[in-house]
Amino acid sequence: MVKVGIPRALLYYQYYPMWKTFFEGLGAEVVVSPPTTQATLAVGSSRVVADTCLPVKVFCGHVLALVEKCDYVFIPALRSVKSKIYNCSKFLGLPDMTRAVIPECPPILDIDIDINKGKRKLYQAIYSLGRNLSWNPLQVRKAALAAWHAHQEYKELMINKGLTPPQAIARISEAATPSPNPKQAAIALIGHPYLLYDELINHRLTHRLEQAGYRVLTPEMLTDEQLETAITRLTGKPYWTYEEEVVGSGGHYLESGVEGVIGVVAFGCGPDSLMMDMVQRQAIRLRTTPFMSLTLEEHTAEAGVVTRLEAFLDMIQRRKRREAKVCV
Amino acid sequence: MRIGVPHMGNLYIPLKALFQRLNLDFVIPPVNNQRTLSLGVRYSPEGMCIPFKLTLGNLIEAAELGADTLLMPAGSGICRLGYYAKTQEQVLHSLGYNAEIVCIGVSQRKLLGLLEAIKRLSNNASWAKIISAFRFGLAKLNVLDSIERAVQKVRPIERVKGTANQLFAQAVRATEQADDYQSLKRVQKDYLEQLSLVERDESAEPLVVGIVGEFYVLLEPFSNLDVEKELGKLGVEVRRSIFTSEWTKFSLFLNPLGVNEKDRLHKAAMPYLKRDIGGEGWETVGEKVLHAKDYDGLVHLAPFTCMPEIVAQNIMPSTKENIPVLTILCDEQLGKSGMLTRLEAFVDLLKHRRRAKVKV
Repeated sequence: MVKVGIPRALLYYQYYPMWKTFFEGLGAEVVVSPPTTQATLAVGSSRVVADTCLPVKVFCGHVLALVEKCDYVFIPALRSVKSKIYNCSKFLGLPDMTRAVIPECPPILDIDIDINKGKRKLYQAIYSLGRNLSWNPLQVRKAALAAWHAHQEYKELMINKGLTPPQAIARISEAATPSPNPKQAAIALIGHPYLLYDELINHRLTHRLEQAGYRVLTPEMLTDEQLETAITRLTGKPYWTYEEEVVGSGGHYLESGVEGVIGVVAFGCGPDSLMMDMVQRQAIRLRTTPFMSLTLEEHTAEAGVVTRLEAFLDMIQRRKRREAKVCV
Repeated sequence: MRIGVPHMGNLYIPLKALFQRLNLDFVIPPVNNQRTLSLGVRYSPEGMCIPFKLTLGNLIEAAELGADTLLMPAGSGICRLGYYAKTQEQVLHSLGYNAEIVCIGVSQRKLLGLLEAIKRLSNNASWAKIISAFRFGLAKLNVLDSIERAVQKVRPIERVKGTANQLFAQAVRATEQADDYQSLKRVQKDYLEQLSLVERDESAEPLVVGIVGEFYVLLEPFSNLDVEKELGKLGVEVRRSIFTSEWTKFSLFLNPLGVNEKDRLHKAAMPYLKRDIGGEGWETVGEKVLHAKDYDGLVHLAPFTCMPEIVAQNIMPSTKENIPVLTILCDEQLGKSGMLTRLEAFVDLLKHRRRAKVKV
C-alpha cells in the first residue's frame, strides 16, 4: 500500500480528519509524524535560516521524521480559502521551501488551494492531487466528498461539544474523552492551532490551565458567525486567512464573560504581530477582561511560561475576590 | 483638508509636484531621520517590520504638521503591507490625532484606483488637470531614476570618491525645484553631462553586485544605511532591477495590459519556487538564478521578520546557479559599522573568487 506522510504541524490541526479521509479513500495508508519533541525542534531549526518562525522550524522537524517512513509527503500550498483573503507567505511557499531545505524528503504532493481562481481550478487541483494515487476520477471525487463530510463533522464536534482539535481527533478515532463541564470558570486561549495544541511549543499550556481548575476555550469552539461579527467590530474586513483564530476569537472572548484571555504568538510571526496587536488594543479599550500575550520561540523556557501564567491567574483571583467584597 | 504622505526614497518629489499642480494643501514630513525611526519604533507593535515603523514615524510627523488626510498603500494578497493602514490609523487615534488614512489600492485596479483616489482628494478637479499633473510627476520620477542609474555606474570608478554622490544630491534638489518640462529636461541633460565628465579610472574593472530583496528597504536608503553608497566606496558597481519609475510604469500602465516585466524572473525561479508568495520573494529567487552568470555577487536586503524574504532566503542556497549572497536584515538594530565589516568581508570574498576565475 502507498504510504502518505502528514507532518503533525501547521495545518494538521485544522484539516487532519479531512486529509486522512481523502487519502484513505484513495487506498493509501496515512502516516502521521509523532508528536513534537525537543529533538524534532532541534533538527528542524538546523535546516532553516535563523529568522524563520518557530512553527515552520517545527514543521521541518516533522517532515524529517517522515523521511524513509513513507512514499509521499503531503504539503499543500494554501493560498486562499475565502475570496480576496490570503495566507501568510510561509504557507504559500511551504512545499518549495521544504524541497529546498530538506533535499532527502520523499516526493512532495503539493496542491495549490486558491479560491480566487474559481471553483474549476480548485476541482482541477484536487483531481490532480488524487491522480497521484488513483487513475480513476470517480474514486477521487468520492474520496474528496467523503473528506469534505469528515471535515464538517470534525468542525461540528468542536463547535457543539466544546472539544479542542486534539480531543476531536481522538473522538473521531473513537477513544473516549471526557466532555468539559460548561459551568466551570473559563479561560480563553487564542492563536493559531499549531501553537495552541503543540504541547512542546507551548509548554503544556492547556494542561496547566486545566490543573489550575479552569475550563479552556479555544477559537475552534466558535461558530463562523460569531467569529465574523467580532472581526467586523474590530477591523472591518478580514485580511489574513486565519484572522478568525486571532482577531475573531479574541474579539469574541473579550466580551463573552470569560475570566481571562491569553493570546499565544510565535516570535517573528508576521500576521500575528499585527493581529494580536489589534486584540490587545481592544482589550485596553474595553477594560473588562484581563488579557495576556505570550510570545513563544525555541528559547522560551518552561519556568518563564509558568511564572507568567501563575501571575496572570493570581491576578484574576485577586480581581474576583475584590469584586466579591464589593458586592457584600 | 491637508494631505500627508509617508516617504520612500525620493518618491516625495513627484508627489509634491503632483499636489502642487492640483493646488492641494499638503505637507511633506521631514525626510527619514533618527526621530522618525524612534517615533515609529515606540508606537509600533513589537514584531513589525522596518517599513511599517518608518512609515508610521512619517505619518506621525505629518500629523504633527497638521495633516489630517494621510495616504498609504494598501491592497490584498501582498504581505503585511495590506494591513498597515488599519493598525496605523489606530495608533494615530490613540495618540490623539484625528487623522484619516486613505488607502491607495496597489493590488487591484492599479491606475484607475490611483487616479480615482486623486480625483476624490482634489475636490473633483477636471480629469485633464489630474492627468497633466500626474504626467508631470511621472516625468520627475523618470529624470531622477535616469540620473541615479548613471550615478551607479560612476560611483565605483570615480577618482575622487564622493563626487557622484554630491552631484546626485544636487540633482535631486534641482529636480525638486524644476517646475516645468523645459527646466526638468535641462536638469536631466545638465547632470547627466556633469556625471559623464567626472574623472574616472578607466582601467578599473569593478566588481558587479546585484541588490535584490524587499521593495521598501531597497528604495529607502535610510533603512538600509546607504548600502549602495557604501558598496560604491568599496569600488563595487551596483545593479538594481527595481526602480520607482520602472515599477510605476509597469504596475500602472503595462501590467493591466498583460505585459509583465517580472515574467523573466518568475520563469527563472520556477524550478525552485513555483508560485507567488507575496512581496518580492519570487523575484528575489529569480534574480539569483537569472544573474548567477553576469554578477559577481548579490546583496539581499530584507526587513527583519519579512515573511516572503525569509522563504526566499531559505530557498536561495539550494539553487544550482551558484553565486555568493550576503543577506542583510534591516531594522532599527542594524548598526553601520557591523554592516560595513560584513560588506568588506563580502567584497574581499568576491575579489578572491574573481581572481581564481581569471587564473583558471
